[in-house]
Amino acid sequence: MSDPRKEFIAQLRRYQMGSISRRHFLGATGLGTAMAVMAGAVPGLRPRAGFAAGEIGDKVSLTSWPNYHDPANLEKFTEMTGAAVELTVFGSNEEMYAKLQAGGTGWDVFVPTNYTIQNYVDADLIDPLDTAQIPNFDPASYSDPRMSEPGTIGGKIYALHKDWGTTGFVQNTKELPDKLTSWKEFWDIAKDKASGRVMVHDYQLTTIGNALKYFGYSFNSNDEKELAEAEKLLIEVKPHLFAISSDYQPGMRNGDAWMSVAWTGDGKQLHNDIPEIIYVLGKEGGEIWSDFYAIPKAAPNKKGAYALINFLLDPDVNTAELMVHGYPVADKRVIAKLPPEIANDPIMYPAAELLSPLEFGASDVLTNPLRAEIMARFKSA
Amino acid sequence: MLRGYAIFVYLFLYAPIALIVLFSFNSGNNASDLQGFAVTWYIKAAGNTLMLGALKNSVIIATASAILATFMGTMAALALQNLRGPLRVLFDGLTYVAIMVPGIVIGIATLIALVTTFDVTNALIADLWPGEAPPKLGLGYGSIIAAHTLFAMALVIVIVRARIAGMDRALIEASADLYADPLATFRQVTLPQLAPGIIAGFLLSFTFSFDDFVIAFFVAGSQQTLPIYVFSSIRRGVTPEINAIGTAVMLFSLTALITAQVLLRRGKRPAQ
Amino acid sequence: MTDAATIQETRQRRWAYALLAPSAFWYLALLILPLIVVMVYSVGERAPTGGYQAAFTFDNYLNLGARWTAFKNTLTLAPAGTLICLLAGYPLAYFLAVKASPKTRLLLLILVIVPFWTSFLIRTYAWMFILGGRGLPQLLDFIGIEGVRFINTPFSVLVGIVYAYLPLMVFPIFVSLEKLDKRLLEASEDLGASPFATFRQVTLPLSAPGVITGCMLVFILLMGEYLIPQMLGGGKVFFIGNALVDLFLQSLNWPFGSACAMALVVIMVVTVTLYLKATRATGGRDVSLV
Repeated sequence: MSDPRKEFIAQLRRYQMGSISRRHFLGATGLGTAMAVMAGAVPGLRPRAGFAAGEIGDKVSLTSWPNYHDPANLEKFTEMTGAAVELTVFGSNEEMYAKLQAGGTGWDVFVPTNYTIQNYVDADLIDPLDTAQIPNFDPASYSDPRMSEPGTIGGKIYALHKDWGTTGFVQNTKELPDKLTSWKEFWDIAKDKASGRVMVHDYQLTTIGNALKYFGYSFNSNDEKELAEAEKLLIEVKPHLFAISSDYQPGMRNGDAWMSVAWTGDGKQLHNDIPEIIYVLGKEGGEIWSDFYAIPKAAPNKKGAYALINFLLDPDVNTAELMVHGYPVADKRVIAKLPPEIANDPIMYPAAELLSPLEFGASDVLTNPLRAEIMARFKSA
Repeated sequence: MLRGYAIFVYLFLYAPIALIVLFSFNSGNNASDLQGFAVTWYIKAAGNTLMLGALKNSVIIATASAILATFMGTMAALALQNLRGPLRVLFDGLTYVAIMVPGIVIGIATLIALVTTFDVTNALIADLWPGEAPPKLGLGYGSIIAAHTLFAMALVIVIVRARIAGMDRALIEASADLYADPLATFRQVTLPQLAPGIIAGFLLSFTFSFDDFVIAFFVAGSQQTLPIYVFSSIRRGVTPEINAIGTAVMLFSLTALITAQVLLRRGKRPAQ
Repeated sequence: MTDAATIQETRQRRWAYALLAPSAFWYLALLILPLIVVMVYSVGERAPTGGYQAAFTFDNYLNLGARWTAFKNTLTLAPAGTLICLLAGYPLAYFLAVKASPKTRLLLLILVIVPFWTSFLIRTYAWMFILGGRGLPQLLDFIGIEGVRFINTPFSVLVGIVYAYLPLMVFPIFVSLEKLDKRLLEASEDLGASPFATFRQVTLPLSAPGVITGCMLVFILLMGEYLIPQMLGGGKVFFIGNALVDLFLQSLNWPFGSACAMALVVIMVVTVTLYLKATRATGGRDVSLV
């Protein structure tokens, strides 16, 4: 910590600890300083001879999800390469798919979810990756093939594992003291005690999927009758909702919302900052997913894209990312670096009996016109 | 009572702006939790290359579309004053529709029309291109400028025509009677009278384009404009940096507005 | 008609065509062509994986009822927002044009316009905070009024609308009131008319063009509104604009989206045309679009 600039940043971080930011997490786990030291000391993070400033252009665009990256990492990438990372976030895979399909996005790297990769390949929107340009990719490092395999289609690697997680819900136990355990309770209480305080994603897969769970149907159901029941439930609940949005952290943090459909990492971030907010996996099941880095066929800066993916897969960078976003990573090199309280965290690594009923999303769900229309009707109801 | 009401309205108009400015000096990193006074976020914003890039794009786009719209709109307005018959009715109808069609429809319609056109033309270019990598048409500066110009041009036509209608025709006739050639008449008589309308049209066009989110959202391609950047930042989770950017933009607009006012007044004085 | 006059007229005509050419091109390429494409798409089908697929069917139009709530919200909240803007804006415009001292008038007028010159998004964002749980409700809670909720309701959307578009209403009304000859007001007073009668019989009819223009401007913008319901309505208060974005960017149903867009355009053209006809008949003479 001899570098005065780093010292200053560390000071600034500590100063910010009282606030409700995700960096709080770093500080609260006592890792903020450690990470900063590590980041400075690790050789992989120093500018590599291969990258002269400006070599990969001055901009790499990254299309991702809310609260999904460590801003300090992205700044570090810019320092190393001279290319600023243009981060855009989306709230659903449909939205990403629609934008990319319409064309002219200018995206270099984007983060699709497991079940959508097949659709991107079918629509000829992504190319197989040239893994030689990603030295940090090591196929032997994956701890669980279920998390990494969806990126490989027809024997070709199209996308590389970023992290994985579950879709459950967050509950503010100060406002709603009875700890919920199921999707049935979630939807029932939404119409009752939590009326006006509940958020659901602006994302058909999870919103319809978890409404299907109310009846015990498959999260991936495309069955007309089952979907009709789910739609009926959603329309009934609609007047009781606080909002339909995938950006639920602000609402949960300022107390406007007491419950929301949520992903692992947001649950973790919220719980760390506001301990009374807990993350719950419905006992009926729900979604387990894995996100990936991929490069669109039309990416304007492919070289920059490879450089950014390689950077983000660097085990140290990846660990730093994990500490901020709170989603588990299925890379043994990262897992080895985790402090025990993270490796045993019940939100990030739920008990086996909660994990076993979860389902991976299915690719036909993404483009199913009926599900799309049900979601649209629910939103405009 | 009316005065009291006016004060209330001004409070209503300025409370949110005061809040934006106040939080831009927040030393904490949350946009809704005031922790102390600092200019950290201004420094951060000033070094934010993406924001500056988006700002630059917005300035380029707004300037280009305002210039295009002002030229073409003024030309059309001048032509329409001498025109009668179906062509004029058609043109008036188009201007009317261009102003009335909501931005969101313009955005969507332009997007699908351009994407459809590009599909055809890019295939054609690829067939005809002799070399390896044929150039590809795509969304970007051009598409945003073109779409913004449409609405802005209609706006300029309406404003300048209103000005023409209120113009002193006797002066033009006098000038013609004095055998000034039409160009000289235009430069020395018509243009000075139209100038306020043209300038107003330019300023409105610029503001419209600079602040537009919806149209750009659809036709931007990879270009980020400032409103798109701001929208994306709000979704990403807001830090006071957005407030700092907003405050800076506000100051910039205010300066531009006052400068324009001063210039206009100065321009008027010698004539009086 | 002399030959010279005919030549002059032909020349003028040629000039006019030349001057119109660029704008005509623009209208053709960026208004007529895109609207035709939307029209063609609106009778097409959604491709199996989303997007557009050629077809000829009116199913999309027959299905418009599925977005009834969005149309209903737009068609109630847009006129309501316009009316509130008018009721809130008129007194201010009147104050500026008639009561305010000439010295401060310009300054006060600029102060009305300045917010309009600042980022629409950031201003709306400020209201997200003010109306959210940490804003006004917390303040009300503090003085003992508990459990008030604003954000993500039609009310908060209306507040956002009025805030965003009030300047657009005040300005044209001010312009028409400023032209009003103050001696008329004095004359009316001297003749013993009550202030209310003066207002109703003199001021109001003379300010009609400004009122008509202001209402139309605000109404047109509100009908296509997307951002305010999105940011202050939490995805719950849904306008046609939101339905359109959803259809194009989430459901990937371009043909149905195109049909909704066409319906919106038709509704706009019809209402605004009828409105202009009606107002012309009731004495708004100098109505222009801006």
